[in-house]
Amino acid sequence: MNPEYYEFFCSVKIISGKKALSNLPYEMGLLGAGNAMIITDQGVVGAGLLEHVKAAFDGATQKIGVVFDQTPIDSSVKVVNELAALYREKKCDCVVAVGGGSCLDTAKGVNIVISEGNGDLMAFQGMDRLTAAPKPFIAIPTTAGTGSEVTAAAVIADTERGVKMPFISQKLYPHVALLDPRMTLTMPPRITAATGMDALTHALEAYYGIQKNPVSDSFSLTAIRLINRYLITAVKNGADEQARMAMANASLCAGIAFSNSMVGIVHALAHATGGCCHVPHGVANTIYLPWGMEFNLEKRHEIIAELAPYFGVAAGGDPRAAASGVIRAVRDMRRELNAICKLPLTLKDAGVDESKLEHIAKSSLDDGSITYNPEEVTFEDALAILKKAWDKE
Amino acid sequence: MDGLLSLIKRQGSSGGKKAVASVALLALGSTFEMVSEHSSELKKEIADWQDGVVMLLGVFPDGPAMSVKKENGGIRFLGMGMCDADLKVLFKNLDSAMMVLTGQMGAHTAFAQCRAVVYGNLGAGMQLSRALNIVQKFILPSFMLNRTFKRPPVFSSDDLLLKARVMATLAPRMISGVMRRQCL
Repeated sequence: MNPEYYEFFCSVKIISGKKALSNLPYEMGLLGAGNAMIITDQGVVGAGLLEHVKAAFDGATQKIGVVFDQTPIDSSVKVVNELAALYREKKCDCVVAVGGGSCLDTAKGVNIVISEGNGDLMAFQGMDRLTAAPKPFIAIPTTAGTGSEVTAAAVIADTERGVKMPFISQKLYPHVALLDPRMTLTMPPRITAATGMDALTHALEAYYGIQKNPVSDSFSLTAIRLINRYLITAVKNGADEQARMAMANASLCAGIAFSNSMVGIVHALAHATGGCCHVPHGVANTIYLPWGMEFNLEKRHEIIAELAPYFGVAAGGDPRAAASGVIRAVRDMRRELNAICKLPLTLKDAGVDESKLEHIAKSSLDDGSITYNPEEVTFEDALAILKKAWDKE
Repeated sequence: MDGLLSLIKRQGSSGGKKAVASVALLALGSTFEMVSEHSSELKKEIADWQDGVVMLLGVFPDGPAMSVKKENGGIRFLGMGMCDADLKVLFKNLDSAMMVLTGQMGAHTAFAQCRAVVYGNLGAGMQLSRALNIVQKFILPSFMLNRTFKRPPVFSSDDLLLKARVMATLAPRMISGVMRRQCL
C-alpha cells in the first residue's frame, strides 16, 4: 500500500564496522574541523570507552579541545548552555557525542546554541524552528537502541521552568554516525536487552503507524530482521562482535525509520512513564509493546501480518491470525529476555505504583507520538492499556 | 458571497484559497468561543490550559490565521491575522490548509504528511489539536467527521442541541468575528 503522500529525509553519513572510530579525525577534516569538543558521561569513561576515542587522534592533525564527561541522565538547558560557553572558550569547531541518548541529545542542544547564537532554547521549541547551518557534529553511540545518531529530534529539560522541551529539525541530524563494535561490547545484558527492545519498538511502531512509507518500511524491516536474529545472542554473549554490530545497525535502521515514520501509543506511554516514575525508556517500551500492538490490531492486522515471516510465524491465511502470531512472538521474545537477564515485563515488576496509572494515562495524551498512532487514543483507552500492563505479561 | 467571488477574481486561485481558508478559520474561531461556553467535553479539555495563553492556527508564512485566548475558564476568539502567540500551528501552504479546513483531511493525517508544523511546546500542540477536534465536531457534517477522524465522535443529546445552536448562529457570529480587532 503506497501512501498518497510522504516525505523522507536522512542526511547522516554512516560509517560502520571494525575500527570505524579510527576515521574520526579524517571525518572531522572533511567537515573542515580540527578541534573537537567531546561530550560523554561517567558510564562511558568508567567502561574505558573514551580511551578508544582518544586513541583515534594519535598522529592526527585534528585534536581534542576539551572533554566533558559529566552529562546527566536527562539533558538540561543549564548543562547545554555551560557546554556552549566551554565550546567557545576552548575555540572548538566540532561536537563529538560519545554515549547513549542523553549524551547525543545534550550535543544536539549544544549545537543549537552555538549555531543559532542564542542561549534561550525555548525560542526554538517545536518543529522546523532552526535556520542556521549546524556546526560539524559526529555521533558515536555506545548503546544500540535510541537511534539518536540518525534522528532529527532532541529533548532537553528546563529544570528551572519544570518543562521538557522537544526539538525537531533536520538541522539536528549529526553529519556522521560512527558505529564501532568496541563501543557496545561492555553493555550489561539487561541494558542490551532493554535498548534492543527499544529499537524493536521503533521499527514496529514505524512500520504499522500512519506515517509509514516505502522507504521507512525498508529500514523497519531490516531492523526487525536483525533484531530477531541477533538480540538474544547479544544479550547472552556480549563479547560477540558480530551480534553487537548487527544490533548497532538494527538500532540505526530503526532510528532512520522512526525519524521518518513516527512512533505511536507505546512510546507515548513509555515517555509518560519515564517522566513520572523514572522507568528506563527501553524497559517501558518492552512492557507496553505487545499491548500497544493489540490495541491497534483491529485497524492494522493486515500490516502487522506482513511481519509474520520475520518472527517465524506462519504467513498466509487469515491476516488477523498471523498478526496475533506476531504479537505472541514478541511476547515470547520478552519472556526469553526476562529469563536471561530479568528484564521486567510488567509495570509492577518495574516498580511503578498502581496509583500512578491515571497520571501516566493523562500525560501520555500530550505526547506527540499519539498523533501517529493508527487508532484514536482517549484517556480511557490509555488507562485500560496501563491496567493490563501493570500486572499482566 | 459577491465579495468573496470578486476577491477570487482579483487574486486568482491563491486569492480564492486564501478567502476560503479565512472563512473556515473565522468559523472555527468563533465556534471555538461558543462551544467553550456550553460543551462540558471542551470545558474539561481546556481546564488545564494556563489562563491567558494565546494559541494561533494559520498558514505559513503570513496567514490567513486566527487566534484564541484562554480567559476566565473559557476561550475568547481574538480575531483573524498573525499575532504573537504562545503556540502556533501553521500549515506549510494554502493547499494543505484547504484540505484540513474544508474537511477533506484530518489533522492527524496532515501531521503524518508533514503538512503542518508546531511552533512552541508540542504537548500544548496536542492539547490544541484535541480541543479543535471537539470544536470541529460541532461544525462539520457527520460524513466529513466519519471520513477525517480516526474514531468518529459520539454525540449526546446535549451535543446535538448545541450543534443545532452552533449552526443556527454561525453566520452572525462570523460577522461579529470579522469586527474583532485583528492581531498584528
